Order: sequence, then C-alpha cells, then structure tokens
Amino acid sequence: MGVNAIINVNDVNFYYGNFKALTDIKMDFKKNLVTALIGPSGCGKSTLLRLLNRMNDLIDGTKVEGEILFAGQNIYAPDVDPVEIRKKIGMVFQKPNPFPKTIYNNISYGPKLMWNLSKSDIDDLVEQSLKQAVLWDEVKDILNKSAMNLSGGQQQRLCIARALAMKPDVLLMDEPTSALDPISTAKIEELIDDLKKNYTIIIVTHNMQQAARISDETAFFYIGKLIEYNKTGKIFTKPDVQHTEDYITGRFG
Amino acid sequence: MPPRYPLKAKGYKELTNVINKIKDNSMQWRYFKQKIFFGAVRISALIIVLTLGGIVFHIIFNGIGVISWDFITKYPTDSMTKGGIMPAIIGTLYLTVGAISVGLPLGIVSAIYLTEYARQGKIVRIIKVGINCLAGVPSVVFGLFGLGLFVVFLKFGSSILAGSLTLGFLILPTIIGAAEEALKSVPQTFREASLALGVSKWQTIFRIVLPNALPGIMTGSILGIGRAAGETAPIMFTAAAYFTSKLPGSIFDEVMALPYHIYVLATAGTNIEQTRPIQFGTALVLVALVLGIDLIAIVIRSYMRKQKRW
Ligand SMILES: Nc1ncnc2c1ncn2[C@@H]1O[C@H](COP(=O)(O)OP(=O)(O)OP(=O)(O)O)[C@@H](O)[C@H]1O
Ligand SMILES: [Mg+2]
Repeated sequence: MGVNAIINVNDVNFYYGNFKALTDIKMDFKKNLVTALIGPSGCGKSTLLRLLNRMNDLIDGTKVEGEILFAGQNIYAPDVDPVEIRKKIGMVFQKPNPFPKTIYNNISYGPKLMWNLSKSDIDDLVEQSLKQAVLWDEVKDILNKSAMNLSGGQQQRLCIARALAMKPDVLLMDEPTSALDPISTAKIEELIDDLKKNYTIIIVTHNMQQAARISDETAFFYIGKLIEYNKTGKIFTKPDVQHTEDYITGRFG
Repeated sequence: MPPRYPLKAKGYKELTNVINKIKDNSMQWRYFKQKIFFGAVRISALIIVLTLGGIVFHIIFNGIGVISWDFITKYPTDSMTKGGIMPAIIGTLYLTVGAISVGLPLGIVSAIYLTEYARQGKIVRIIKVGINCLAGVPSVVFGLFGLGLFVVFLKFGSSILAGSLTLGFLILPTIIGAAEEALKSVPQTFREASLALGVSKWQTIFRIVLPNALPGIMTGSILGIGRAAGETAPIMFTAAAYFTSKLPGSIFDEVMALPYHIYVLATAGTNIEQTRPIQFGTALVLVALVLGIDLIAIVIRSYMRKQKRW
C-alpha cells in the first residue's frame, strides 16, 4: 500500500448475477493525481468506477468480493452507509444529467439538503462551484433559468460544479467528454488539470490523447482484468505488456 | 394477401427483377392496408365521439329546463318533487374530496413502495395482480365491504368518513396504476445523479422523483376523480342519505349525493315520471361537476408541466 494512496482496491471480484465482470483487481489510486482507466468497450471500466462509490448497489443481483479501502476504511464493510461514501466520492456521468431545475438549484440541491447553511453561504457556494467548473461567466445572469436549456458542454460543466459543491475528496468521471464537441472537451480537460490540486480524479476515457494529456497514471483493462498500471508517460511510451501497446497504438484485433 | 412469387430466378438480374416486383406489389398492398386501417380508426373515433356527444346532448336536452340558480342553491321541497339539489351537490363534493384525500396519498405511497423500494420479483408481481383484481371488483362489493368495515365494525355509521374511505379504496387501483406509470417514466439518470451526490434514497424520491412524477399522477388520477363522484353503489350503504334537511356538521354525518339522488328519484317513490326533469337536471349537474373537477386538475397539471421539463 503506497503511502499517499487514497483508495486501495484489494483483490476485488465483481459479479452481475452469474457474470463475472471484474477479476482479481488490485490497485491503489494516489491522492491528488489524475488516474485514467482505459480499455476496450465492455472491459469493466465503468463497473470499477461505480464500485468505488457504491453506485453498483443500485443494481439488483450484484456481488462484490474483496475489499476497497477509502482512507483506510473498507467501504464494503457491513456497517458502512453508502450514502456517506458518496458524499466523499463524487461522480460525473457520461451523459450530462442535470436535474430539471434551475441552474442555481442544481448546485444548491445537495448542500441544502445536507448542511444547514445560510442563504448567503449557499449563494457563495454556488458561485464558487460554478467558477471552479469554469461556467460562472456564462451563466451568472441566468442562474434562475432551467438547466435543461444549457448546451451539452455547459450541462456537463454544471454537473461537475454540482459534484464539486459537495466538497468531495475524490471525483469519479465516466467518459465525461464523450458527448461533447472539441471546444467543450478542451475546457473540461483544462478544468481537470486545475482540479487535481485539491481533488483526486479517476477518469474513464476512450480517447488515448486525452488520457495521455491529462492523466498522471494510466490503467489498462481487458475483459475484466487489470493488464497494466503505471505512470502515464511510461504506458504511452514504453509499456511493459505488448497487449497494452497494441491497444494504445490502435493495432488491436 | 399480396400475391407470392416463387423465387426460382437464377441469375442476379432475374432475382433483382423478382424482388423489385414483390416490392412494387407489397407497396400497393401496404398502401391498401393503411387505408383500411385509418378508415377503421376514423370510424371508431367517430362512434366514440357520437356516443359521448349523444349522451351529453340527451342529458342537456332533458335537464337544462330545470337548471336555475334556485335549483343549485336550494333544498328539495315537496317530497323532493320540487326545489333544488344543493345538499346533494355539497355532499358529492365532500365525498369526492374525501375519496381523493384517502386514495391519493395511499396510492402514491403504494406505488412508491412497488416501484422504488420493493425488489422486483414474485411478491411484487403477485401484489400487482391483486391490485388489478381489485380494479375489477364490482363497486357494490366495495359498498358492502365499506358497510362491514367502516360503518359497522369501526362504528363510523353511515357518514362522509365511511363513504370517503370506501370510495378512496375504490379508486385506489386507478391511482396506484397511474402513479406507478408516472414514477417509472422519471428517468433513471435523475435518481443516479441525486444518489451520487450522497443524497439518501428517501430524499431522492421525495425531492426529485415525486415532483417529476406528479403531473403524470394527476393525469391518471383524474379518472379516479370522475369515478368517485359518479358511483352510486359504494355510497348507498356507507354515506348517502335519502334526504337531509341541513348540511353535514362533521365527517360523521350522512350526506345527500348526486348519483344517489338520481337513483332514488328514478327508482323509489311514486313520482318517478313527474321528477324526470329533476333527474336529468341532477345528472347534468353531476356531469358538469366531474368535468369541472377534471378541468381544475388539468390546469394544475399543465402548470406543473410548464415548470418541470426534461
Ligand atoms: N447492469 C448490468 N448487468 C449485467 N451486466 C452488465 C451490467 N453492466 C455492465 N455489464 C457487463 O459488464 C461488463 C463490463 O461493463 P462496463 O460497463 O463496466 O464496461 P466498460 O468498460 O465501461 O465499457 P464501455 O467502454 O463500453 O463503457 C460488460 O460485459 C457488460 O456487458
Ligand atoms: Mg463504460
């Protein structure tokens, strides 16, 4: 276990019913780094990501073996409330999914329910979160308009702001830019780079350039197994496993 | 049926010709089928509209004569052969509102349990079959059930309370069905988004799912409202009075009700023919009342729709 690891995945197997989606996953996610999860479609990247904040609990008939430690505590221990875990490990989904509420209420929704903040504190939190997500300038005059009217890229940044407003320690992102145009994508990549000062970010992506650009470490998965996990520079220049190289260079059959 | 062609062509060209021929023919056939189909749809729609129009016209034609300000604001007089029907209007309003107050919360809670909490499996399926059976139970059986449970056993007597509860149970399957549909139509991504923030399941349902399902729940419940207002059998033993000389003072009082009033005038007593206009007038008021309640529900719903949109 590395000293600065914030999440340790220890020999995890995961099943959807009888289907084994993850096999013997063992890896540590380091604090304040961006870790990219890559691999072909269906290899289990989303499954692993959703295991980290217990979103797989929502699916009937799933089973987890092994343990996942967050700050040293097993989040699958029987006495752990998944709701508490999700407060500390936020998530941004592949498709932007704002609530059908105003922009302001999208951000203030979680904090209002959980913390007894004054109106002006909430106002500040909304403003800060939107600034963090580089959306403030675009929406500051329309905070009371429906979030559904924003563009896809704006909606995704709103979802990031919404997650940030909960002050999580870790941010999980499942292909956050796959539905976006290059300009919005660039904005979100910049944002990720900025966020890693304060957050640990784990991001699933199919875009190799993106993984190379924004991540510090990269993990390559294939059919439910972790094939290679190393510094991004190393993975993209001199991977240890031939399989990894084939995938990265697109020579994959 | 479209004519069939034996596919015994040999070369590429022959095969292509054969297929093109089939295409031509099947296009004409499809066009023909479409015409028949749309024709049938049009005719059925026409039959429905004509029937509905016929009923409404019949009621208006026969009932409009007695409608007056006095008719809807005065008590009946002369053994109900003259005067107004005000207590029956008030009574039906009370019973309808009562039935909704019972049926809506209970139905929504049941639907939330069935769609959001219960593990989807055998037990839920059995419960759902049970609810569907309940929807098919004749209303007079509900009346007897209400008589046994609320009027006699719980000693509510024949009262607004007993009638509202009975009608509430009567419309429960409708409301559960509507609420289930509405809850299911709320995108799963909303639930995920909320839960991923660390919001509890209960709060997610209460803050996100339910508000977005409400317009749909209202739509389905409108049917229930109409049924609650119009049924005679369930209130016959549980709430309805033949005649009251004053308005109910509490929920433990009996009330007159529009459908029961029609029933009484049309079947009992010696003045059946003489009170025909009053019967039709009462029916007209009942129809107007139900449509009025529906209209209010529709307005509320479209207002909510405007606010929530995805
Ligand atoms: N809810 C589910 N029920 C059953 N099997 C599932 C479920 N979700 C995913 N799987 C299966 O688990 C495996 C891993 O799926 P997962 O979604 O984690 O892949 P992924 O790596 O994220 O793929 P992609 O890049 O296409 O998003 C796949 O074989 C998939 O079919
Ligand atoms: Mg995925």
